[in-house]
Amino acid sequence: MTRVGIIGIGHTVFGRRSDATVQELAFEAYRDALTDAKMDPELIDATIIGSVPEYHKQRSLPGVIQEYLGLNPRPTWLTEVACASGSAALRTAWMSINSGMHEVVAVIGCQKMTELTTPEILALMGRVGDVQWESVFGTTFPGYYAMFAQRHRHEYGTSADQLTAVAVKNHFYGASNPKALFQKEITVQKAQESDPVASPLNVYDCCANADGAAVTILASEGKAREIGGDRTVWLDGLGCATASMSVLRRPELTSLPSAREAADQAYKMAGVSATDIKVAEVHDCFTIAEIMAYEDLGFCPKGQGGAFIAERQSYIGGSTPVNVDGGLKAKGHPIGATGVSMTYEIVSQLRGECGPRQVPGADIGLTHNVGGIGQYCFVHVLRRD
Amino acid sequence: MNLGLTGKVAIVTGGSRGIGASVALELARNGCDVALTYRGRADAAAEVAGKIEKMGRRALPLQADVTSCEETDNAVEKVVAELGGLDILVCNAGITWDGVIWKMSEEQWDAVIATNLKGYFTYNRAAARIFKDQRSGKIVNISSINGLRGKFGQVNYSASKGGNNALSKALAKELGKFNVNVNVVAPGMVATEMAAEIPPEFLNAAVQDTVLGRIATCEDVAHVVAFLCSDFSRHITGEIIKVDGGQYI
Amino acid sequence: MFEWFGKVSYCPHTKVAEFARHLKNGRLMGSRCTDCGQISFPPRADCPTCRHGEFEYTEMSGKGIVMTHTTIDAAPAGFEDDVPFHLGVVDLEETGRLLASFGETIDPAEIAIDMPIQVVPRMFEESETIKVHYTLEKPGTTWVKVDPD
Repeated sequence: MTRVGIIGIGHTVFGRRSDATVQELAFEAYRDALTDAKMDPELIDATIIGSVPEYHKQRSLPGVIQEYLGLNPRPTWLTEVACASGSAALRTAWMSINSGMHEVVAVIGCQKMTELTTPEILALMGRVGDVQWESVFGTTFPGYYAMFAQRHRHEYGTSADQLTAVAVKNHFYGASNPKALFQKEITVQKAQESDPVASPLNVYDCCANADGAAVTILASEGKAREIGGDRTVWLDGLGCATASMSVLRRPELTSLPSAREAADQAYKMAGVSATDIKVAEVHDCFTIAEIMAYEDLGFCPKGQGGAFIAERQSYIGGSTPVNVDGGLKAKGHPIGATGVSMTYEIVSQLRGECGPRQVPGADIGLTHNVGGIGQYCFVHVLRRD
Repeated sequence: MNLGLTGKVAIVTGGSRGIGASVALELARNGCDVALTYRGRADAAAEVAGKIEKMGRRALPLQADVTSCEETDNAVEKVVAELGGLDILVCNAGITWDGVIWKMSEEQWDAVIATNLKGYFTYNRAAARIFKDQRSGKIVNISSINGLRGKFGQVNYSASKGGNNALSKALAKELGKFNVNVNVVAPGMVATEMAAEIPPEFLNAAVQDTVLGRIATCEDVAHVVAFLCSDFSRHITGEIIKVDGGQYI
Repeated sequence: MFEWFGKVSYCPHTKVAEFARHLKNGRLMGSRCTDCGQISFPPRADCPTCRHGEFEYTEMSGKGIVMTHTTIDAAPAGFEDDVPFHLGVVDLEETGRLLASFGETIDPAEIAIDMPIQVVPRMFEESETIKVHYTLEKPGTTWVKVDPD
């Protein structure tokens, strides 16, 4: 097996990008990644696109992107697993490099969420669970995580204040991230007074839709050392697991079994444990999701996720800083791009390039990217030598 | 055939004479307990009730104004309380009050529409409420071929019977998913008391109009009604069955 | 026929379409594998235990315990007129789990994890087309069952 390194990264501003098509967004991040890598695009052997097609009017996105980026005739294809599509693209790139088929692969996570009208989005959102047995009753994405939160409160006493603390932290860090959708801090009061969405979650417990793209360029060990030198960040641990789509078949609802399994795999492969992780990006589509992630990733014991945030352990200076780029909550969530955006942040942290949001001494980092309500989870461990 | 109506409870409006009485007796003959409404002829109603009881079935004569929702609802409540439920409704109460339109009074119009059309609405509504909740029921609304065609001198009657037809079709759509059938029986000329007042030359003309060479007896109508109240007609709903000897083809 | 099931339906074709007809007749059905006897709810044509492809319907009691719930305030398409509505996930007495809305016999303020409920087959009465579903009601709630067609 060859080591695979990340040699270039790029990231658009996330937000309501009515100024651009999805391929134009992809190009912004692609251009930045090439500049960051200081490399000639001639060296790219293939691209993998992470995106969720249902949100775009353009059919068969990879073809359009490949053309616009000027990368014909190189191979490309799409990987889609809902909000984890970006990480699936990374895993696919890692595998294609390890197979010897390609040496340098650009991973393009891109998404426009705002091309659809609100009714179209609502109709799509209503089909997030099992459409045969659950969507017929009016389930929604926040509704599922709300049910997880009810259960978490029932079993562990996780409070509304603890949920809000996650949002407050992520907006605090988002305020210093020029790529984020929301660059303003929020107060506990404002968060708790916001409109209800699905009890106990209100508007400020939920991430926002956004448009955006992020690109990471991966290379085989030899090529990575040659092009990236010691700025290279290695993708050393990859875990991936699935769990039932339907909540009707989850053994318990206070944890994502796919996340626990993926984390175990990634830690094992990278030869690390939870305590070695210096900085992490987790999938905070809802505040409760971040709390569950602390537990599933082993940053704290089961049931203690609420205490973890209440004690500020996920702030810089705490035991495991989490989402110090604002997370999905402050950045926004262009679903296909998110996994690559998380990787962008961890790579930046491990290179020491995060300025006021830098976690001191970060050498090992982690991304936790969940698809849907936990039917897919990808955990990646990254390391800088 | 054994219509399988034993123990069913039926309401027949206008059940004291004519078609109504015949329907009441036919249903009783097939095993129903029957409530029959009348307006003024208590003696006639009692006579029909007596015949029903002789057959070994229960009878409940009820004086009630079919044009009043309140009286209707009370009457239906009484039927359910005393006879134990409701399975069949046959709306039959009807009057004629003929005349060319330019001589027709407001009262002539109002009375016929009220008795013949509103009087079906009141009972159909009351029965629908019960049938919907119990997921079973049969409704037969007696209409007339003069609701399918226009009849000279009967703008009021034709309108009311045409109205019965449309009401029944709409109701069939509303009640279908609850396993309730709603159908119409549309007789031509029938040999009833009401018809006995018709001058002989008109009666004879009616006989000539039929292809079978006779006008209907009340039993001819009652048999079809009974069939529509049975499970044999379970796949017929929103239908209009003429019983007119071919008077209007 | 499966498009009868639910206020909105995204699933017109399935091997368990008869579930909807049974529900219309007032019966909540699970599936039983004709090979190994495994019972599943929701019903499924393909046995999760032995992969056999034939099954028969078996009636569920509908008795269960609430294991989680939420009140939906932001509605998905088709449910705009219903908000706020209350969803529950219920562990069923025999096996399996079910998600549905709480019905009229339950006071929303009383909804809690571990409360017992009765799943009751329902029809959307004012819908012109046939539309069936089920609701979560107080234990002991009765309903009408109709003979199979």
